[in-house]
Formats: sequence, structure tokens, C-alpha cells
Amino acid sequence: MTKLIGVLVDSLLAGGLYATMAYGLAVIYGVMRIINLAHAGFLMLGAYATFFLFTRFHLDPFLSLVVVLPAFFLIGVALYLSIVRRLPRSGATPSMESLLLLFGLWLVLQNLAYAIWGGDTQSILTSYTMKSVSLAGVRVGVPLLLVFVASAASLVALTLFLRRTYVGKAIRAVTANRDAALISGVNADRISATAFGLGTAFAAMAGSLMSTLYAFTPDFGRSFLLKAFCIIVLGGMESAAGVALGAFVLALLENVFGAYTPIPTTFQDAISFSLLVVVLVLLPQGLPRLFARRSAPAR
Amino acid sequence: MTIRPPSRIVRPAATVVAALVLLLLAPRWLDRGTLNDLWSIAFAIVLASAWNILGGFAGQISIGYSAFLGIGAYTTALLSLKGIGPYWTLPLGALLGAAFSYVVGLPTFRLRGPYFTIATIGVSEAIRVYAAGVSYTGGSSGLRMPPGTFDFGRDYAAMMILAAAVVLLSIWIRSSALGKALSAVRQDIDAAEALGVQSTRVKLIAHALSAGIVALAGGLFAINFQYISPGSVFDFRLSLSIVLMPIVGGIGTVAGPILGAIIFSYLQIKLLSTPALRDSYLFLYGGLLMLVMLFEPRGLVGAWQRLQGLMRLPMRRAVPRV
Repeated sequence: MTKLIGVLVDSLLAGGLYATMAYGLAVIYGVMRIINLAHAGFLMLGAYATFFLFTRFHLDPFLSLVVVLPAFFLIGVALYLSIVRRLPRSGATPSMESLLLLFGLWLVLQNLAYAIWGGDTQSILTSYTMKSVSLAGVRVGVPLLLVFVASAASLVALTLFLRRTYVGKAIRAVTANRDAALISGVNADRISATAFGLGTAFAAMAGSLMSTLYAFTPDFGRSFLLKAFCIIVLGGMESAAGVALGAFVLALLENVFGAYTPIPTTFQDAISFSLLVVVLVLLPQGLPRLFARRSAPAR
Repeated sequence: MTIRPPSRIVRPAATVVAALVLLLLAPRWLDRGTLNDLWSIAFAIVLASAWNILGGFAGQISIGYSAFLGIGAYTTALLSLKGIGPYWTLPLGALLGAAFSYVVGLPTFRLRGPYFTIATIGVSEAIRVYAAGVSYTGGSSGLRMPPGTFDFGRDYAAMMILAAAVVLLSIWIRSSALGKALSAVRQDIDAAEALGVQSTRVKLIAHALSAGIVALAGGLFAINFQYISPGSVFDFRLSLSIVLMPIVGGIGTVAGPILGAIIFSYLQIKLLSTPALRDSYLFLYGGLLMLVMLFEPRGLVGAWQRLQGLMRLPMRRAVPRV
């Protein structure tokens, strides 16, 4: 029983982080129908930005979010205005050009990190890295708990932003029906720029949070990118709640496999990668589609 | 009955055969270093042209081809260690690669465009993680080929013949019924289906052909380098360059992948011999990919055709229509 509770708590905590990580991918996909492979690059750069602020200015990794989030939002907006906007607009399905362009951007970002920080494995050690507290009878690391609190707070703030502000509502409108939103007078270019900035900031935030949990290299991010895909495909790409659901399901599956099957941990990543393929093929509309009435035919 | 314009097959094929004869005679005049570079270029041409059969002709962009290279390389290495002559293992490697492409393709070809691409990244990463974790691949320490299996002259000739064969195959596919079906699938899969093209079937055939060829190249890779590890043959970077070469050169054409392969191998040779540039290949690959996507998605071949079009325009205007 304790084991089950442990698995559930771990999944919930990891799910929060996974949701933050996947949301950035989902918002860009939703608004622009672009699959942002550079997501992994921003994840990695977020970790390195936090690392830089920590080693250079002794800024606490969680406080560094105050700097990292706005900085990456601006970087995302600048990238949208300078590069992404030049692409021909994707139709109902994402275009191959956008996928490959952002793939190229990811490689450039990776090389940037190699040039600045080298290929060595880095990690952030704070005074509380090794501490843990008891939660419902389960020992939980303090960093993991803080990461969960930060991701949960970001998701709540995001939900409020999407529901209460004009820009947030416009983002949801464009995601739901681009043409109808344009006819209603939404400035698609500005919304796209905001969404790209938001997606970039969320990726960097997830990377920043991860830097307190895992060691990282410039190659960091690839396995998380695939997990993020898995999540948004599971959760359906429309809502923050769907993304959170997908994140929790993936974290739960990983932890259940880890706790109840003899599969060694080295293969754990292979589970989520295989799951990605299975889900893409079997459930292209995601889990919410299972609960909704089967109205639309599968793609 | 199809009527094939002879110039689309005969002339390119004759050029390839002439180039092959020259390259097979080259060891008489050239030193070992140059021959090594030629081997690398031919290897790149094989990978790029093979990938282009599915990625270019059929438009199914797969970023997971290192899996097939790894299967070929490991088949050759493991069977050679059992005492079988390394060249005899090549057909089996190709068959295994093709069979595996079928296993991967059957579910993933239900996905379209970018979704297919994402799924192929998932498959190849899963295989890489798996290969690094099991014992028969030698784990992270890799496998060494048995002594006495290295013969550069033979491997050089084999690679040249394979490269020529792949290019000839591409030339043939381009004008064959299969090529027409693949092209239809690329342009509009629904329209192709409506006209009676069995899209999944032709995609599977193209996938198997290209996977088998890449597995063959993997076997020759193992023989030439005498040492393989999951890090070297299942490397994501390898999957990456296999995709980038045809895209930069010109996707879906015969000349494009060859051009891309020559440029990339040349860059790689230059990069490896210049210590200051050794770590900037990602920048170069990424930057090239971005430039191509922004300015000419049809690659260098597309840029060349556009240039030709510009040159021709004034001439046409010079002759007034009556």
C-alpha cells in the first residue's frame, strides 16, 4: 500500500513538471500548427541560464525564474519576428518546412551551448538538494517538491491568463478556429508572436526547474522533447487541463513500470518513446477523445 | 506499356557507370588518404540516396535511419565474430534491415507528414536506448571485428559498387511505375488513393528498399572501421546527417542527394582536420537546414533550376512572338 502511495505521489510530482514542459509545445502547436523541435533547445538553454545565474551571481535556481522567464519570452518573440514568421503558413496540419526549420534552430542552439559551456555534464548543488521531507508517509526530496509547487503555480497562472485576459482569450480562439478568430478581428501576427514567446518561456522554465533535479549537457532535452510529444498527443493539444492529464498519465506509467516490473531503469526512456509511437498510432486524438462522444471521424 | 524517354535513363546511367569504372581504377593512381575520403563520400551518397527513396520520392521524412545502419553493422559484426566471412553476412543484414523497416512502417505509415516524422524519432531513440542497455551489442564498450577481416581495397570496391547501384536504382525508380506512385503519394495522398495507388504498400516497398540499402552500408561500415558501438552506429547525429544531405542537396531528385552527400562529406573531412571547427558541425548543419527551409525548400537543385529559369527568361523575350 505504501508502495502504491509512493508511486502516486511521485507521479503527481513528476506530472507537474511534465505538464509545464509540455505546455510550451502545445501552445505553439495550437496557435500556429507548428511542431517546435527547438523546444528541446530552449529546455536545455533554460537549464544553462539557471546554471549560469547560480554559479556567477549565486542566485537561487528557483529565484532565477524571475530572470529566465521574461528573458526567454523576449527571445521567443524575437525569433518569431525574425525567422518563424517568414515561413509559409501551416494549414490544418503542420508543414514539413516549419518542422525542419525549427529542427535546424535546435541544432544551432545546441551548438551554442557547446561553444559557451563545453560538453561536460553540469549540475546545480544547493543547500537543500539532498534534503527530503515526509509526505503522506513517503519520503520526498525537497527540490522535487519545490519544482512541483513552481510548476503548479505556473499552470494556475497560465489558466487564469488564458481565461481572464484578452490575449489569453485570443490565443484560445486562434487555437480553436483560426479563421473565425481572424474574422473576429484578432491580430494573428501578434497572437502568434505572444504564443511563440510563451511557449519558449515555458520550455525554458521547465529546463530551469529540471536543472535542480537532473544533471545536464548540451544534448539535454531530446528525451524530454519526446516525452512532451507523448504528453500532448495523450492529452489532446487543446487545453491546459488536457496537457496536465497527459503529463500525469505518462508520469504514472513510468513510475508503475519502474516500481512493479523488472524492467531496468536504463530502459525507462524507451518506455515513453515506444508509448509515443503507440499513442500516435492508436489514439491520434488523445485521451479526451475517449471520454467525449465519438462524433468526428479519426484523422 | 510505358514509354520512357531514353535521356532520363540512358544518359544518367551511362554517366554513373563511367564514374564507377573511373573510381574502381582510382586506387592505381591515388594515395590511401584520398581513397579514404572517396570511401566516406561514397558512403554518404549511399545513405543520402537510399533515404531519398522514401524521404524524397515519397515525401515521408524519417529521422530514424541510424536504426537500419546499426542493424546492418551489428549483423555483420556479430556473425563475423561467429567465424562467417564478413561479406557473406551483408545480404542477411540487408534482409533484417528491410524486415525491421516493415515492422516500423506498418504502424507508423498510418501517420501523416510531421506526425510520422515524430514517430520515427521515437522509434530510433527507443532502439538506441535498448541497444545501449543489452549485452550482445557490447554495451557502451562496443564490439571489435575479428582480426583478418580488414581489406581496404575490397571494402573500397564494394562501397563504390554499392553507391553506383543505389544511384542507378534511384534513376530507375524515378521513371518507373513505383516512382510515379511514390510521387503521387507525396503530392496528395488522398488523391493518389482515390486513383488506386495503394499508398501504404508503396510506402512500405520504398521503406524496405532504402532500409535494406542503408543496412548494407552499415555492414561495410563495420568492416571498414573494424569497431562499432551503439554510440557510433545508433547515433542521433548519424540519423541527422542522413536527413540533411538530401534536403540540402535537393529532396526528391537523383542529383540532389549526391550533391548534398559530397558537400557534407567534404565539410566533415575539413571540420575533422581543423581543430577549431571540430565542434561547430551542429551549427553548420542547423544553419544550412534553416537557410534551405527559409529560402529554397527544394535545396541546391531547386536553386539551380531557379537560376536557369532566370537565365532563360530574357532569351525568350528576345524572340518576338508572331
